[in-house]
Amino acid sequence: MAELTPDQMPRSQQAISVLWPSFIVAIIASGAFFSAFNPRDLVPFNLDIDISPIAAYSIGFFLFWLLAFLSSFGTLYFTLSNCRFLKKQGY
Amino acid sequence: MPTSPATPAEPSLYQAHKKIYPREVSGYFSRLRVISIIALLGIYYVTPLIQWQGRQAILFDLPARKFHLFGLTLWPQDFIYLAALLILAGLALFFFTALLGRVWCGYACPQTVWTEAYLWMERKIEGNRSKRMKLDKAPMTLAKFRVKLLKHTVWIAFSLWTGFTFVAYFTPIKELADELFSFSLGPWETFWILFYSFATYGNAGFMREQVCKYMCPYARFQSAMFDSDTLIVAYHPERGEPRGSRRRGVEPASVGLGDCIDCNVCVQVCPTGIDIRDGLQYECIACSLCIDGCNEIMDKMSYPRDLIRYTTENSALGKKQHILRPRIMVYAGILLLLCGLLVTHISQRVPLELDVIRDRNTLYRETRDGLIENVYMLKIINMDSKPHRYTLWADGIDGVKLVTDQALIEVEAGTVSQLVVRLQADEFNLEERSVPVTFHLQAEDSNHLRTEQEARFVGPGRS
Repeated sequence: MAELTPDQMPRSQQAISVLWPSFIVAIIASGAFFSAFNPRDLVPFNLDIDISPIAAYSIGFFLFWLLAFLSSFGTLYFTLSNCRFLKKQGY
Repeated sequence: MPTSPATPAEPSLYQAHKKIYPREVSGYFSRLRVISIIALLGIYYVTPLIQWQGRQAILFDLPARKFHLFGLTLWPQDFIYLAALLILAGLALFFFTALLGRVWCGYACPQTVWTEAYLWMERKIEGNRSKRMKLDKAPMTLAKFRVKLLKHTVWIAFSLWTGFTFVAYFTPIKELADELFSFSLGPWETFWILFYSFATYGNAGFMREQVCKYMCPYARFQSAMFDSDTLIVAYHPERGEPRGSRRRGVEPASVGLGDCIDCNVCVQVCPTGIDIRDGLQYECIACSLCIDGCNEIMDKMSYPRDLIRYTTENSALGKKQHILRPRIMVYAGILLLLCGLLVTHISQRVPLELDVIRDRNTLYRETRDGLIENVYMLKIINMDSKPHRYTLWADGIDGVKLVTDQALIEVEAGTVSQLVVRLQADEFNLEERSVPVTFHLQAEDSNHLRTEQEARFVGPGRS
């Protein structure tokens, strides 16, 4: 059986390998972050916003998810493009 | 070295998903599993309903930044306990994995628990394994549509209940129910109920064993905790092989076969769709349903049971088994030590905190009597479940005097109170420009409730 390369993974598996680890990281990051900081004390750029704590926590969670998502996506993107590149080079 | 392009016929690591139709099975281990699943689901759905001293017994009150666990209230300052608890849970998983293998996967993991619950609903509505397979192959008819509609309606209803219960761990369930029935749920609560419901519906209804195979980190590293004395589910190849079909009641040796009649029941009952006869595989979640399935067949054939059984590598090879081995003792030792530390620490915990912030606007000022005065902002956090009255004093400088406008320092349960105090000291008692002072806070009704906090006192310094 020939060695399988990541670019042979189905799209759904690739999507999960980006969304899922970043989801877990977002849970850990928002847990640690919001234990240390109360969202009420964090008004970004002196904006005059008034949102409920639940909204603040939720938005914070999604921001962490987005950040981790970008990082995971970068890893996947470079893995896939390097795979293709190396194959072209004859590896 | 150039690799040949993969041919489509080649078995792929990421082969297209084949839906698994686990066959129903009854027996000792499946009963044990059902008991565990019902107990765990019960705990999940009932916990938010329990009341304790006028509020929800277990409530992670995010807006107020307080976690209520029966009599104990944890503040963000107590984050360390949460971290310790997570470490303990991880260690416990190591310990039980080394001892009992993947019991967590087979009996207690939420993925297993909800998948079994959804599978149970599926069976009740669509019928047994062969009926389900036939139904899925059949073209869409009104009858099939009705069965599928019913299944998904029941699944979605159960998912919504699950999502609602999840949010009830963060918002008091009474409030949440009132809001739900008056159609006034907040947007974020609605969102999280739907989010969690959707995740449950997807994971337990569709993803199922794929979560274990492709998404679970524990499944990947659990083998690191395994050794030759870890409990595993295994087939007995010496007894079973060569496998082959035969009529009931035939003595295996007389037809040159082993005990395995190759009926494939062990494969059909497997929720991850593997063949346990191929040896230990990382897809195996040790649910032990194949043991029950095989035993049933062995009984029918009047062969001895346990062709597939719980065993350890050592005992399968006829070697001596060691339950108490260094790995187990180290895991158990660390686990007990951490448990002890956590319990002592929580029992010694003083639910009182004092924050001192020096007024930064003026370094110091001189009173009319010629004393040097510093101003401080004090934050008293009463983390107890009762209000308390406190005595406050300071020391560190000879003859230091504490002056405050407030006659009584009283703080309600679970609140923060701010207080401005002034410290006055004679210049002659100040050794340096800046000297340490200590604030002491003591509850009047409890010796245990006391805390202290250091601060700086600034003066002109000795010239």
